[in-house]
Amino acid sequence: MTFKSFFRNRMTELSLTIIFIVGFLALVSTSQGVLLSRASLQGFLTYLAVPIVIGMAQMVVLCIGQMNLAVGAMGGVSTAIMATQMADHKVSIPVALLVGFLGATAMGAINGALVVLTQLNGFIITLGTMTILLGVQYRLVRTFTIDKYPTSLPDFGKKNIVGFPLILVIAIATSVVLSMYFSRTGSGRRVLATGGNALAARLSGVSNSRSVFIAHTLSGALVGVAAIITIASLPGINRSIGGDWMLSSFSAPIIGGVLMAGGTVAVYGTVIAAGVIRLVDIARAQYSLDPSIVSLTVGVVVLSTVALSEWRRRRTVRQNEGRKVLPA
Amino acid sequence: MNVAHKIKSLVSDQRFVLSLLTVALFIFFGLKNSAFFNADFVIYPLIRDAATLSVIGLAQLCALSIGHLNLAVGRMAAVSALAAGAAYQYLHVSLLLGLFMGLFVGASLGALTGWIIVKSQVNAFIVTLAMDFALLGFVTYIYVTFTGATTAFTTKPAGMEFWRNTSWHQYCVAGVCGPKIFPMMLVPAIIAIAVIGFIFSKTRLGRELLSTGSNLRAAKLSGIPVDRRVITAHLMSGLLAGLAGIMLAFTNGSFTAAIGSQFMLPSFLGPVLGGTLLAGGSVAVLGTFIGTLLTLIIRQGLSVQGIGLETLNIALGLVLLTALSLGQIQKMFTAIRMRGRT
Amino acid sequence: MSAELLVESVSKAFPGVQALDKVNLALHGGTVHALLGENGAGKSTLIKIITGVYRADAGNLKTNGEERFFDSPIEATHAGIAVVHQERNLIAEFSVEENITLHNPPLRLGIIDRTERTRLANEALTTLGFEIDLNERIKNLSVAQMQLVEIAKALVTKAQIILLDEPTASITAGETVKLFEVISRLKSQGTAILFVSHKLEEVYEICDTVTVLRDGVSVLESKPLANYKQSEIVDLMVGRHLADRKVVIRKVDRQVNAVLELKNLKTSLGHESVSLSLYPGEVLGMYGLVGAGRSELARSILGLHEITGGEILLGGKSVKIKSFRDALHVHRIGYVTENRKEEGLFLDFSVRKNVSVTILSKILQKLGIIHVGKEDVVASKYVDRLGIKVVDNDQLAGTLSGGNQQKVSVSKWLAAETKILIIDEPTVGVDVRTKASFHELITELADEGLSIILISSDLAEIIAISDRILVMRDYELVGEVENTKDYPSISRSIMSSIHSGS
Repeated sequence: MTFKSFFRNRMTELSLTIIFIVGFLALVSTSQGVLLSRASLQGFLTYLAVPIVIGMAQMVVLCIGQMNLAVGAMGGVSTAIMATQMADHKVSIPVALLVGFLGATAMGAINGALVVLTQLNGFIITLGTMTILLGVQYRLVRTFTIDKYPTSLPDFGKKNIVGFPLILVIAIATSVVLSMYFSRTGSGRRVLATGGNALAARLSGVSNSRSVFIAHTLSGALVGVAAIITIASLPGINRSIGGDWMLSSFSAPIIGGVLMAGGTVAVYGTVIAAGVIRLVDIARAQYSLDPSIVSLTVGVVVLSTVALSEWRRRRTVRQNEGRKVLPA
Repeated sequence: MNVAHKIKSLVSDQRFVLSLLTVALFIFFGLKNSAFFNADFVIYPLIRDAATLSVIGLAQLCALSIGHLNLAVGRMAAVSALAAGAAYQYLHVSLLLGLFMGLFVGASLGALTGWIIVKSQVNAFIVTLAMDFALLGFVTYIYVTFTGATTAFTTKPAGMEFWRNTSWHQYCVAGVCGPKIFPMMLVPAIIAIAVIGFIFSKTRLGRELLSTGSNLRAAKLSGIPVDRRVITAHLMSGLLAGLAGIMLAFTNGSFTAAIGSQFMLPSFLGPVLGGTLLAGGSVAVLGTFIGTLLTLIIRQGLSVQGIGLETLNIALGLVLLTALSLGQIQKMFTAIRMRGRT
Repeated sequence: MSAELLVESVSKAFPGVQALDKVNLALHGGTVHALLGENGAGKSTLIKIITGVYRADAGNLKTNGEERFFDSPIEATHAGIAVVHQERNLIAEFSVEENITLHNPPLRLGIIDRTERTRLANEALTTLGFEIDLNERIKNLSVAQMQLVEIAKALVTKAQIILLDEPTASITAGETVKLFEVISRLKSQGTAILFVSHKLEEVYEICDTVTVLRDGVSVLESKPLANYKQSEIVDLMVGRHLADRKVVIRKVDRQVNAVLELKNLKTSLGHESVSLSLYPGEVLGMYGLVGAGRSELARSILGLHEITGGEILLGGKSVKIKSFRDALHVHRIGYVTENRKEEGLFLDFSVRKNVSVTILSKILQKLGIIHVGKEDVVASKYVDRLGIKVVDNDQLAGTLSGGNQQKVSVSKWLAAETKILIIDEPTVGVDVRTKASFHELITELADEGLSIILISSDLAEIIAISDRILVMRDYELVGEVENTKDYPSISRSIMSSIHSGS
């Protein structure tokens, strides 16, 4: 691989890494090193795990040119299943987590099946399933906080592996596996091919329906992982879980370099973008600004990122195809 | 055209089927529990909500007409309400002037969104999503900064009570008074439906918007100023979202950051049930009202039966998915019929 | 056993047009078989049927003795058929080597073996004598490079039957030479190759046998190419149905001012210096191969792409046309697009609304309200005039046949009463009879004073109805022929301008 193509293809990820490092150092120095204290660092890293995984859950659907509005509701229902299984039915922790995980995967599969069957955009289908799932979540949790389950689960969530929170390690491991899936397996390549150019994919023998189904199911499975991380890192489960997932699920992959049009994944970009967003959050707390500032900033950044990538794309198209394409 | 043909075309009209379903469900819920027919506590608020939600449905419909989406309808509503509320609180303007100021802000936001879409060529979904995030931050920030702990503008301009609580019953012509169940809030909704319906069915502007939605490239090659139409559609969307936001603020009696936060699903339910194509090129203005009414009857009807909020959500989601699948099945049948003909 | 592909009386109809009618073709290992025909003759349809993209209505397909149609492209690939489609079928975001091995990436323990993938891709590219960074993404390549990647993609499957649909359309002469060396090598190894091209010289250079399609019928079936002269092949391709028509030489007065004149026009798309004049009531044909830059010129004139130099004169006055809107409403120029479904029609609109879209400003009442009565009158006028077959004006455009759709697409420009009309490939994909009626219509419109530029890759069509013919090659006008409508001599002189200097 030449350096030129390496840099050209990894531009976003490289710049994000630099932003992350610079931002982190700036926060460390302005806080007189408080951020480096054991407790702050622990907090910073622990709450990075969920944004990473839900970012990937959205990314796998974005890569086929669709979207999953139901990530939050699916996560809410999945954690609710886990919590009620343990609290009300006294199911053991691993079984409850597995049931919740499979539940999320099944919800993703249903989304996928509906999109394939109705041939409609994933947006409107997941808007429908989101509404249904929110109802299911409220039914399961009602207005309570469910925390009557063995404390070994929250303890598990506080574990560290060589200084890193275990749940962050789980999130990173998931991203490594996902990255392998897209770059190194036939199935992963086929899903990406569908997103990149459905017609070309079909002529190359890819079943686009299968790709769509796989992407949505995978999204569900990732939400299941996020649910496991959530329930392990919180003292209890209530109906607000998942309510604020939508923003971060879109912003991390989009800032990380995933094209809305489909055909790309950027696992590392998504992870590092989640880190940058987390830094904004920390900075907000440090300067005691209103939480709404974060959403404002992220909104503006997302918009500029997409505008920039679109501008770059059009520039390369112009350079390469001056003589061929006829855009109307 | 013979009678059979007329009946056939009537039955295949989505609005007719939808109206029948609405009336049937209305009667069904009433028969099951007569409390549903209570004019003051069920039907009046139901129609008042239908008025507001139809307007937000129309806001979405304007974006759908050109094949776009507006995910920021709720937040545009919030910002417009914020502007109107601030005007009442600090500038002590009259009800109408505050309304216009709010609408102006909504329209400007919509136009700005359209302009960003045109200039950046980024898909409308993501622009409006990002707009939603940014406005969410903005709205919360303003309320917190200016109103502190109350997080609401509570000044009630003169006339607000009249709009939120009275019905057509007060107006009588030759001894016949308007029905008690029709709230005053229905008036702005009827005006919006009439104006938007008129624009899309009768005017050049409407035709140009639909052409843009039906086939952007063909519209451009036919000399339609498509960029300007994209901005127009989003401007109309922002304006209507603003109207809906202010209507809701009037209904609630205060201007808060929560206004519009529940608008997204209803904004799609109305137009989609009414028969508006998601792909652009076709709208159903009256259908939006009937679709909204239908969803509210289901919601209220179930709630009168003592069914909780959570089940209502499940029911509405199922209604949306069923309506979408039906549309697809219908399309498949048409395709089969077409194939038979050629 | 050497490879063999037999197409036996295959038929396929699309709404409104019989794309293939009992077509036969026999492709044998160790030969290069030319599949020739004009645009719309059915070549691409046939290839798509062989590779399982479309399903045939009738007939048989025998691959290496096994008789069956393929249900999907992947089945065709498994049966040893590789294809380079005319449309570009690469995934822009994937790297070169990923695209080359897209059909069947090499796996080891279920995981893609990158070393093997690189080796395979390298091997395919080396055979083509083409060097490129295997990790570069397709979106960063030039058109010619993409075409070579497409070919490499077919080579890597080690297929015994290779179908090449216009493989040389966008590559250079040097690259073509290398491609031909590869084809010869594959041929000597017993591979069966189907070669589709518009460039007859190339066909004679590389092909052994030939099948000619005309309007969906195989008029020449798997004959040795050496037995036919180039002119005979051309006659078979275009048929006599157009050449035999009554020849009318129209008189066009060129002493008056030109309605449209281009002076050394330079565009951002790559035209360096184009000059031409169009006179009142003239049908000016513009011939060239696909990709020669004709549609691009038309669209640039109409303001879709940037004019970077030179002048456009309308009626002798220099003008700047900013947009299609400007072209239509200010300068009264219309453009009938070649992609009627994508750019010409609103398929879910009624015929009435389709016709009136260009004249909305003329059928208004107060307050911008559309006068439906006037709208209907206009629509009816053109439905009658063009003989568009509709139930009523409210029929949806999407439910019409290809020919009728094309007529609707033309109607809106006639309704707008334009003075100049640029018509781009009007008869692609329409049947013979509709084609003839279109030709009559164009002549009639010109007789009424409309000035027309007719862009077509159909030689017979250009010769049948133009008054004068310009030839464009590689974004340059390379010839001008006064049309005497004598088919053999005109086609010869057009062909000589196309090929001179290449």
